[in-house]
Amino acid sequence: MPDFSPEDNKLTLKVVFYGPALSGKTTNLMQLHTLLNPERKGELMVLETRDDRTLFFDMLPIGLRGTSGLDLRLKLYTVPGQVQHDSTRKAVLSRADGVVFVADSQLNQQDNNAIAFGNLEENLEKVGLDIDTLPMAVQFNKRDLPHVVAEDELQGWWADTPWAPLIMASALKGEGVIRTFRTLLDRLYTVVDDEFHLAADHGINRRQFVERLSRSSDSEVPGAEF
Amino acid sequence: MLNFEDDPTLTQLLNDEQLARLNHSLSALCQAPITLTESHPGGDATPVEFNLETVGWLSGGKDQQERAAAAGLVSFLMMFIGKYRLAANLHHDTTEASYAELQRQNDALRESEARYRELSDQLQQKVDEQVGVIRQTQQELYESARLRSVGQLAAGVAHEINNPIGFISSNLRVARDYVKEMQAMLPDTEDNRELATDFNDLLNESIDGAGRIADIVADLKTFSSIDQADYTRCNINALLTSAIHLVQTEYDHGLHIMEQLNDLPEISGHPSRLSQTFFNLLDNAAQAIRSPDKPQDNGRILVKTLEQNGSVQVIIQDNGCGIADSHRPRVFDAFYTSRPVGSGTGLGLTVAQDTVRAHGGQLQLHSREGTGTRVLLTLPIN
Repeated sequence: MPDFSPEDNKLTLKVVFYGPALSGKTTNLMQLHTLLNPERKGELMVLETRDDRTLFFDMLPIGLRGTSGLDLRLKLYTVPGQVQHDSTRKAVLSRADGVVFVADSQLNQQDNNAIAFGNLEENLEKVGLDIDTLPMAVQFNKRDLPHVVAEDELQGWWADTPWAPLIMASALKGEGVIRTFRTLLDRLYTVVDDEFHLAADHGINRRQFVERLSRSSDSEVPGAEF
Repeated sequence: MLNFEDDPTLTQLLNDEQLARLNHSLSALCQAPITLTESHPGGDATPVEFNLETVGWLSGGKDQQERAAAAGLVSFLMMFIGKYRLAANLHHDTTEASYAELQRQNDALRESEARYRELSDQLQQKVDEQVGVIRQTQQELYESARLRSVGQLAAGVAHEINNPIGFISSNLRVARDYVKEMQAMLPDTEDNRELATDFNDLLNESIDGAGRIADIVADLKTFSSIDQADYTRCNINALLTSAIHLVQTEYDHGLHIMEQLNDLPEISGHPSRLSQTFFNLLDNAAQAIRSPDKPQDNGRILVKTLEQNGSVQVIIQDNGCGIADSHRPRVFDAFYTSRPVGSGTGLGLTVAQDTVRAHGGQLQLHSREGTGTRVLLTLPIN
């Protein structure tokens, strides 16, 4: 749930990158840190890793200001994907406003995707959230690898879900990362605007919300993502 | 409630001592003393940012450039302190959540354990009840089988005795007449007269004896009622009279029994079981007044019947030894007896109560040790 403190006119939103182990959640966040140039961007905090695997979580704060002086912040988190860190996953997931599900495209990882998705559904329920109403984007990562499931096959499977179309990505190469993030921002805006009247009270419309939070830095080729 | 992700304040990141040390180090590096504070100190100050949040203000220093450099250094430090704080808070949160979950599971387990215990208690109670029912049925079966065999024996004996006693009685009367006729034929001497009178007395005594045998046989037949296996119309007064005769016979006609039998309607009942009940109660009363600590000649038993409120009441009361307080709660328990081994089965009152209940009636017992016992039977008229 969004954290709004009226005395500071500050609205903090929480987006969680969820998915099976080694699907590239931290890579997504690192790429966003590199590629994005939003109005305000904090340090990427990579909390603790062992053999390059997340133990706690990673966090990247970004933000913008509305015409009303609204201090809007987005905190992007990753969860540890390994099965044994379920209680950490649950703690990070609690009070989330949006979820990016990062799946692994490799043929032999489809079971793990399904298990992680089931775990997401279960943990959302435990922290009092509903997967059907929570803004979510689904990314299939690692398209650059051989032996991946064909895109039209994946799109077919997910066609009837609220999360279609899926976003294909190769996070390591920075492809599809911003597009995934923008898809999530777009879905997130609908819910947040409903509750906080971003457009009416703070002069932030949908386009501004998405663009100002996902503005690319100069290093990226303009228009490559859309 | 605090969450691990809440933005930390300066005092949460550094304690007073650490802050003083940091200020001291920064001042040593800079050309003029410099101070980090949580709130704006007023005047010239440079904000220190951490995660987009202004966590403190730097004031002092030689100039703005020096303050900016110090602020960068402090931000850099804050990132590591903040990382540690975030990890520690998350760990704390997850530990608490796990503990709460464990607590919940523990409560659930406790609850289910309590439920199972209750279930087990209920089961035990049911088993106990069933055992009670089985024991009672067994005892009733035993009692009725005993009663039936005794009854059959009594009825058989009574039947066999009835015929000979009939002709003995009638023959004795005829013999008495013959003696009279023979006396008239004999010479009227002193010896003969004496002989005839003595002979006459002998015959009269024998007739008397035969009559008593016939009475006992009749009582036995009533008592056993072998020919009345099922419920039938019972004359309570007649059954009581038979029982009284039988008890008197047991105690050599030495009991002082007062009868106050009022007219009663016949009730539906099982005569042999009712007889057995009356006999048991009378036998108890007889034993009570004959107990060693009561003078024998004072002992009295009152047997009273009356009709009241649509039921028949039978009162059997004695002024015997009474029942001790310690025995009273258990007198209706099967096989419970205060008498010496071999002189009682401990079933008398149990059978009496069962019988009365089977007839839809009530058995009430009032007793005081040393004063006597009063048993009130209430049997519905149906």
